[in-house]
Amino acid sequence: MRSALLQWLGPTPLSRRHALWGMALVAPNVLGLMFFFGIPVLMAFSTSFQRWNAITPPEFVGFANFRRLLADPNFHQAFLNTLKLLALVVPGEVVLALLVAVMLNQPLRARNLFRTAYFLPVVTSTVAASVVWTSIFQPRYGSLSNLLAPLGLGEVRWLVDPGLVLIPIAVVAIWQRIGFDMVLFLAGLQAIPAELYEAARIDGAGRWQRFRHVTLPLLSPTTFLVVVLAVINGFQIFDQVYIMTLRTVPGGVGGSATTLTYYLYRRAFTNSEFGYASAVALVLFAAILLVTVFQLRIQRFWVYYEAGET
Amino acid sequence: MKSRSAILTALVILLSMSVLVFSAQAQEGDELVISPQPCAEPGTLTMWVWDENWATIIGNSIELWKTEYCPGAEVELQVQPWGQYWDLLTTNAAGGELPDVFNMSQDRFRFYAENGVLLNLQPYFDEYGVDTTLWGTGLVDPYRWGEAGDLYAAPVNWDTIAIFYNKEMFDAAGLDYPTADWTWDDFAAAARALTDPENDVYGAAVYAEYQAGYPNWIAATGVTPVVDADRTMCTLTEPGSLEALNFLKGLYDEGVMPSVSIMGGTSADDAFNFWASGKVAMITGGSWKLSQAVDEVTFDWDVVQLPKHPETGRSRSIVHAVGYVASARTENPDLAANLILFLASDVGQRFFAEGGNVAPGNPSPELQQLWIDSFGDTGKNIQAFVDATEDSQGVTVFGEIWDAINSEIVVNIFDLDIPVEDAVAQACAVVEEYLVD
Repeated sequence: MRSALLQWLGPTPLSRRHALWGMALVAPNVLGLMFFFGIPVLMAFSTSFQRWNAITPPEFVGFANFRRLLADPNFHQAFLNTLKLLALVVPGEVVLALLVAVMLNQPLRARNLFRTAYFLPVVTSTVAASVVWTSIFQPRYGSLSNLLAPLGLGEVRWLVDPGLVLIPIAVVAIWQRIGFDMVLFLAGLQAIPAELYEAARIDGAGRWQRFRHVTLPLLSPTTFLVVVLAVINGFQIFDQVYIMTLRTVPGGVGGSATTLTYYLYRRAFTNSEFGYASAVALVLFAAILLVTVFQLRIQRFWVYYEAGET
Repeated sequence: MKSRSAILTALVILLSMSVLVFSAQAQEGDELVISPQPCAEPGTLTMWVWDENWATIIGNSIELWKTEYCPGAEVELQVQPWGQYWDLLTTNAAGGELPDVFNMSQDRFRFYAENGVLLNLQPYFDEYGVDTTLWGTGLVDPYRWGEAGDLYAAPVNWDTIAIFYNKEMFDAAGLDYPTADWTWDDFAAAARALTDPENDVYGAAVYAEYQAGYPNWIAATGVTPVVDADRTMCTLTEPGSLEALNFLKGLYDEGVMPSVSIMGGTSADDAFNFWASGKVAMITGGSWKLSQAVDEVTFDWDVVQLPKHPETGRSRSIVHAVGYVASARTENPDLAANLILFLASDVGQRFFAEGGNVAPGNPSPELQQLWIDSFGDTGKNIQAFVDATEDSQGVTVFGEIWDAINSEIVVNIFDLDIPVEDAVAQACAVVEEYLVD
């Protein structure tokens, strides 16, 4: 038993000591993760099978919460809204971030200044940014309305009109993610050997062809990572919805801006339905897991890894 | 001789006892409305409030209780900011570790009462000889619970609603200033005359969500706004509600009132900011906005009671009172009740009256005058807010309903131009879902 443990730690006393050191160093993080992440996650699993208002003792109700989900039109709407937001946000942020990264990979004057500028939204508090964006989208006095006025659009009720409200939310979500994706893309771009571009140029490839046939394929592992992260993030959009609809109708008129995360928040903390909210959280978890596994499966059709890197 | 002195002694004792009784109930002269009582046995209490300023005021009050009425007692007073107050309260209630005494709001009371978390204070009010009707109806009715209508809270304060108006705009339009006996028709006529589309100025903005907005107009028709007092039916489809909302919608359609989008939000704060920036002449505003108005508004302004409904002749303000409640699981129920009685008494409430901003829940005329004077020599008709407590309507809408429909009905009518009848039908469908449970 003892020797098996020692063997597991390492073949020599020195390597064992290194292993122990390593464990000691990661221990705070692992313990923190266990206590503040692992345990709540397990609790969410069990709570989703209970009816619990956080005051009276929880009551086991089997699959009742999940049956209720299937029949709950508000949940269906929140799911659909989340998918619509994903359809806007994921392509939006990936394409724009790639564009910005390619631009900022050129030898530009004040390149670092621009890179910092694009990264700033990432480190800006989402809440503060959403407050500012809310005033930008204000129909009469907002700066966007003033910009659009010459187009004859009139007073567009971005944050109130149920048919429009997801657009401003997507805009803010994209704006906040571009910097993060850009950094990943920049790292990816810099890893592409310059010789390939030279070779392509000698072969007579133009700018677009070099981008299309050299940059895009060689960047695809990065693109894959960016897309996976963007989807996971897109499933969890909350702050923008919360702040930008707070002053008019929280969650949008008729729930038009309610995402899954916002819906579960409302169920848990406004209606004190912690069991039902946990069930929503589990569905969200399952959806993210499924989509991510699906993406991992289909990556071989479009992600190009250089030999030896897979 | 001996028997005479005995009779005299008995008389003196009787008289002094009757003074004791009167001091707890008397309504006139220098008598106290609620007298504090010494505690039976000191001990340790924990207490939660959500406001820093209140914590200071209540802290001073508690110091006096500890020295004069309950030597040896200890109170651990904690501020849990509003943003997390209710989440913390819920989770602590779940863990069985509630503070002994804490602040409660009328719209959240029901949830805690239903779950048996709160201490029934009625026996203590009876024991101390406090007639709970002294607070009137609007302040305390939402805190009554059970068959007998027992009172579970003592009011800390009250907030009422009145019309804030821009006197300079009235002058420019050549209008007389409104007085307390004005009617809806007078209000509408003034609002029309004050509207100036060329300069982007509106006559009024009085439809904000809950307390400082549309429900006041519904209440004036005699209907209990949104949900009836028993919480059995949605009242938005009642004729009175339709009349009030259509009256407001008419002014909105005429261009006298701005849309929600133009004001930037449905809350009374949005209307207040719009008014303070000189874009609208009249708004419904709460007494809690007085100190901000006194300090920050740059034009000449005043307040007046809400206009009277032409047929009922009533002007009814929605009132809200924060309450002191005790935990049902406290280890010191007697001491907790004694502290609450003190904080609600004339002595304990004096600190609020003098501190300004928050109007003391205790109806003593002396305390109310102290509160008015605390704003300084403003020349404003602050008395209008005190007068508004007389015919007032307590908050009947509880947390989930408040969140589910209040802002939505406002946006539907005053922004998306949905007809009143459709908007209330939609709102009532949601409200009834909550009432069924």
